[in-house]
Amino acid sequence: MRYIPNTEEQKREMLKEIGVSSFEDLIQVIPQQLRWKGKLNIPEALSENELEEKIDQIAKKNVDFFSMKPLIGAGAYRHYIPEAEKFLLQREEFWTCYTPYQPELSQGTLQSIFEFQSYISRLTKMEVVIPSIYDGASAIGEAALMALRLTHKNKVIVSRLLHPHYLETLKTYLEPHHTEIIELPYLEGLSNLEILKDTINNEIAAVIVQSPNFFGGIERMAEIADLVHTKGSLLINVIVESIALGILKAPGEFNVDILVGNAQSFGLDLNYGGPYNAYLGTKKQYLRQLPGRIVGETVDLDGHRVFVMTMRAREQDIRREKATSNICTNHNLNVTASNIYLSLMGTEGLYQVSLLNTKSAHYLEDLLIKSGKFEKVFNYPFFNEFLLKSKEDINIINKKLLQNNFIPPLKIYDFYKENNLKNVLLFAVTEVLSKENLNKVVQILSE
Amino acid sequence: MKLILEKSVKGRIGYSLPPDLFEDIKLEDCIPGYARHKDKKNLTEVSEVDVIRHFTELSKLNYGLDDGFYPLGSCTMKYNPKINEKLASLGNFTYAHPLAPQETTQGSLEIMYNLNKLLNEITGMDEYTMSPAAGAHGELTGVLIMRKYFFDQGDERHKMLIPDSAHGTNPASAAMADFQVIEVKSNLNGTIDLSELERLMDEDTVGLMLTNPNTVGLYDEGIVEIEKIVHSKGGLLYYDGANLNASLGILRPGDAGFDVVHLNLHKTFSTPHGGGGPGAGVIGVKKKFIPYLPTPIVDFDSVKKQYYLKEVGPKSIGMVRSFWANFPVLVKTYAWILSMGPEGLYQASETSIINANYVLSKLRDYFKPVYDRYCGHECTLTGKEYKKYGVKTLDIAKRLMDYGMHPPTIYFPHFEPYAEETIMVEPPESESKEMLDKFVDTMIKISEEAKTNPELLTTAPHKTPIRRVDDALAVKNAILTYDDELSFQKK
Repeated sequence: MRYIPNTEEQKREMLKEIGVSSFEDLIQVIPQQLRWKGKLNIPEALSENELEEKIDQIAKKNVDFFSMKPLIGAGAYRHYIPEAEKFLLQREEFWTCYTPYQPELSQGTLQSIFEFQSYISRLTKMEVVIPSIYDGASAIGEAALMALRLTHKNKVIVSRLLHPHYLETLKTYLEPHHTEIIELPYLEGLSNLEILKDTINNEIAAVIVQSPNFFGGIERMAEIADLVHTKGSLLINVIVESIALGILKAPGEFNVDILVGNAQSFGLDLNYGGPYNAYLGTKKQYLRQLPGRIVGETVDLDGHRVFVMTMRAREQDIRREKATSNICTNHNLNVTASNIYLSLMGTEGLYQVSLLNTKSAHYLEDLLIKSGKFEKVFNYPFFNEFLLKSKEDINIINKKLLQNNFIPPLKIYDFYKENNLKNVLLFAVTEVLSKENLNKVVQILSE
Repeated sequence: MKLILEKSVKGRIGYSLPPDLFEDIKLEDCIPGYARHKDKKNLTEVSEVDVIRHFTELSKLNYGLDDGFYPLGSCTMKYNPKINEKLASLGNFTYAHPLAPQETTQGSLEIMYNLNKLLNEITGMDEYTMSPAAGAHGELTGVLIMRKYFFDQGDERHKMLIPDSAHGTNPASAAMADFQVIEVKSNLNGTIDLSELERLMDEDTVGLMLTNPNTVGLYDEGIVEIEKIVHSKGGLLYYDGANLNASLGILRPGDAGFDVVHLNLHKTFSTPHGGGGPGAGVIGVKKKFIPYLPTPIVDFDSVKKQYYLKEVGPKSIGMVRSFWANFPVLVKTYAWILSMGPEGLYQASETSIINANYVLSKLRDYFKPVYDRYCGHECTLTGKEYKKYGVKTLDIAKRLMDYGMHPPTIYFPHFEPYAEETIMVEPPESESKEMLDKFVDTMIKISEEAKTNPELLTTAPHKTPIRRVDDALAVKNAILTYDDELSFQKK
């Protein structure tokens, strides 16, 4: 086997050196009755060529996704990813190394994480940034647990326009703690602030609001923050489409207490749902309750600036059951991917891509309404996702789009079983759809 | 070296975007003023060339698996096959949207379906969920499944037994599921103390989380009795798969009575660590726990002849993440198993066990084994003999870097009284005898240096890109972003 260098001859030599006559002598401690006898019932080994052909055949059972332009987002957005990012990321020094416990051999990873923390802090105006929780959904779970620890309260209010997978994950994380989860209804596609005003009280640990929300609507975060803070609750703001940060106000400016950001749009492939990454921002005063790893600046013996994993007294390998989280391996390679992405996009690029998303989404929405085949569901400001009610059966529409190499938009009723959302589509438009593509969509749907 | 943020030159760009053909649309008409940022947010301004040079230079400060020996105990730093990377990055996989109609994603679903079958056979379980993103995430998923199972039986239990040698993630995961953690002491052999287990295991206890071989690298010889003790009180056995690399084709956790297992695909199954993930921590269960798995799982509709994502049902613990899985990690795992075949898997475990015992036998006179017996796929030594020269295990580890090797895992496990100043060496099957000999010779050389020139070790490393780091200062200053007022650069 080409991945196992030692020959049978060498193994015999080694066994002799160990002082045993056979491999069996080394594993006698395993009770005989539990031993697996004979061969595992799995396919015989494939040669590299056979393997490549086999998996390529399976991959071909997917459609040619590269050529299919998505009109769907809903928590996973196809954006342009610079080739330089993908190329750099594959350097084995980033790709194959371990968690940077040994800073002398890991400055590449550590500095990269520190740079990412700095970028996110600039984009969000959050003072402290945890660079990596697995994804936005699990990060919501961690953020909510953090809020319970900080406030010693056990109720949370969650906007119904939080991504449904995030809400489901939140419920899973909070279930053992018997936390009461109060769902905040929406009005006109945005969280209902009147009801929030009536619902919030001093027993609420945190209010969780996604903006832009699952329907694409941009929430009135400043007003929400004021409401939440009057009752001493914490505001957890969720950003699922991080490209919006290019033009939207920084959550820190709204006095958000904990920010959860899905970093997928920062240079991460769709990959059928993962691995993505999430960053978590907060105020310095809450630092010690943060879950997950963080990198800080220090000096080495020669007095040079270096980077190291720090504030580790919160973590599971030191605190065990008293840790702020069980998280260990996270999604660090994706942190470096996003860091390279943000470096390449830079100040101007992130603004431009954000602008392009806004404009092209509004362009499509406008034309679809003008076509007479669609109407608005809600009157709300949006970034790059929006709802439209179709006059034609959306199943027919989606079939047509698929036949024309577009991944169709989300049927929102699949997630929200409400009568007014029947036959409604959630469109997402990013910069990978050209103006020509969008015109084509309008043409297909106007026929 | 400078940060990429410090290399900014006004007006430089590194991106490429299509032209804005939407001149008629004004940003102010789309986004209301209260939500709009007043100007562009400052990141950096660099060219593509700057970025390539910066990150290439950064990468050279890292030590990767392809650079050399990486014997981190309990981490299974084995070779990451290159063909698997290519296969996982096929365009049909990487551009697949998770909510695309399922008739367009049959290939991705088939990979998940097939992998489930293979993992079941390898571990003796009945069904896997591919959802968990990492080992600890799998642990949380697993203990939530156990919790929900008891809850459904109307038998709410509150305690979880965890050996003193366990990874920190075990107690932390149990705590996240709101279990009271009860530590089980190890016996003189370094394994579970059966009488202690018998005393602690009661009807308010969910079960035991066990790594086998354990984190000292030892197979638990009492595994049959452990299973009886835990199950006789109605408890469940959780298998931490961190050390599965010692068991392929030798001992299937399912056959040993484990009810719930997690596998670290980025350990035993050869997928890269990426500087701390992404990996995957898939969970396998016995039949009666399938209704509790996180939703959804992949199934095959034999009428429609289609793979599909199936809702698990009302007993499911719910979702533990957005979407379905860390998909490329699954492709790499699948490819690895198919490349190895049944003989290859057995050889992987056989070779890793021989490797570890070889290192143990060669180094035992220089670094005393914590337990003097044959080990599994990793061996735990100690550096405590060298304390009298003023040298700690940390110093030995740092000195190893000067010889071009990554240190083993140190100070873990660190339970009293047996395991102190530990050095845990895991030389997986992808390491050759020549490499092990080189490591052994180097360790012996360092043991001599410790006696004759301890300062060489206490000030090590000397030949790495940076010198030893001031951890305490990092905590004290808490400089966590470049813009912090306390930044070293600005002082």
